[in-house]
Amino acid sequence: MLSLESLQIWRQCKMAINVKTLREGFLRVLPLFLLIYICISEFHTQFYYWNIFSFNFQFILIYYWILRDPSILGYGFVFLCGAINDVVLSLPLGTSSLSYLFVALVAAYVRNATVRSSLFTDWFTFVIAIFIGNFITYFLLKRFTLMKPEYVTMFYNSLFTFILYPAFWGVFELYRRIINLKTYD
Amino acid sequence: MSTSRDDFGIAIRSALLQRGAKQKFSLFVLIVISLTIFVLDNIELKPVKILRSIVNDAVYRVSAISSSPIKFGSATKDFFVNHVLIYKENEELKLEIEELKKQKLKTSFLETENKQLQELVQLDKKSTFITVGAKIIFDKNSPYLNSVIINKGSNSGIKLGMPVLSKGYLAGRIVEVNYLSSRILMLNDLNSRIPVVVSPNGDQAILSGAGKKKPILEYLPDNFNAQLSKAIYTSGKDGILFSGIPVGEVFEGKKNNRIEAKLFADPDQISLINVILGKSSDLEAM
Repeated sequence: MLSLESLQIWRQCKMAINVKTLREGFLRVLPLFLLIYICISEFHTQFYYWNIFSFNFQFILIYYWILRDPSILGYGFVFLCGAINDVVLSLPLGTSSLSYLFVALVAAYVRNATVRSSLFTDWFTFVIAIFIGNFITYFLLKRFTLMKPEYVTMFYNSLFTFILYPAFWGVFELYRRIINLKTYD
Repeated sequence: MSTSRDDFGIAIRSALLQRGAKQKFSLFVLIVISLTIFVLDNIELKPVKILRSIVNDAVYRVSAISSSPIKFGSATKDFFVNHVLIYKENEELKLEIEELKKQKLKTSFLETENKQLQELVQLDKKSTFITVGAKIIFDKNSPYLNSVIINKGSNSGIKLGMPVLSKGYLAGRIVEVNYLSSRILMLNDLNSRIPVVVSPNGDQAILSGAGKKKPILEYLPDNFNAQLSKAIYTSGKDGILFSGIPVGEVFEGKKNNRIEAKLFADPDQISLINVILGKSSDLEAM
């Protein structure tokens, strides 16, 4: 009788642990899913208003998560998402991948170089990441394809990406804390 | 200076080559792969083109599916916006329909009036009398007084006692004349008394109003046969009304031993009338 009860309790504990692991796993892969989703679902075209407003959400996602918690967003996935984005936007394969990887490189550098980071350090180093990322895209498209990327469009895109970073930083920071709480719960 | 450069170099090298806890590739390797793919795609090698077309197909399908929530949201927004617009449009269309209905009724009324006026004009031309057309402007229905007001008066040559026709049938006579209007006493009014002759025997009688729709034939001869008698005309014996104006017909049905007449000009349906001013001397009109 006692052994039956203990078996039942053990099963319940196991189920609880499985549910916890599943939930934690889901929370950890959500940023990756979000990145894949926005690369696949023509995010650029969906949020393009008044001929000037557009922002590169991929840059924000990659930069933040590589900087703060690289275990959530693998470089391999960043590369893959770039490739998907190229296919969706009909860019030469590798363009977005290179751009994203350089953003990730800046983030990884900032992570290695700084001891304590804050919103402001992240935000201002993000300017370099945006500049390098967009410069690579612009250079590759201008130099190796017949496409004619516009300075102004890219400038506005960069500007709005930069402006919106703190808002997303706040959201992601909150989300990261939730993940950490769940992990060490 | 040298230390700072070293730090930069170490940090960059670390960022490029170091693989994190869960990283399978280093950034350096992936950047090299990206560059290679870019170059291959730019050279447009056939195998790369085929591979790209396959990848394109797969990604486009997935993209179409994954874009559906955003598209659905956009479509839903459009739906509601359209719904609001349609609602407004519907309200406007309802108002428009109401307006059109009113216009239709107005047109119908004008059409009827036009028809009646045309009939009136035709009657003016064909009549053996000199008439003036008039319109009833005020119709006071009362059990004690069956009279109407017309929009013509002494300015049109109307005088007291003149007979009034409706569609060529006697409807009443003028009992009050003003400069711009006149009053007609209808044949069914209690005060109306006109001498008539009943065909085919030529029986003389007085058509008296009874305050009802059908006036009564009085002072008929004792041997009067209501079954045979039909049309009633004015006899003109009073010296006011012209003779031979059709008035009505004998109603086949006795009420309280009184013989009623059914008027040709229904007093309730009169809207336009002709007042006889005099006898026409034009032979064509005859």
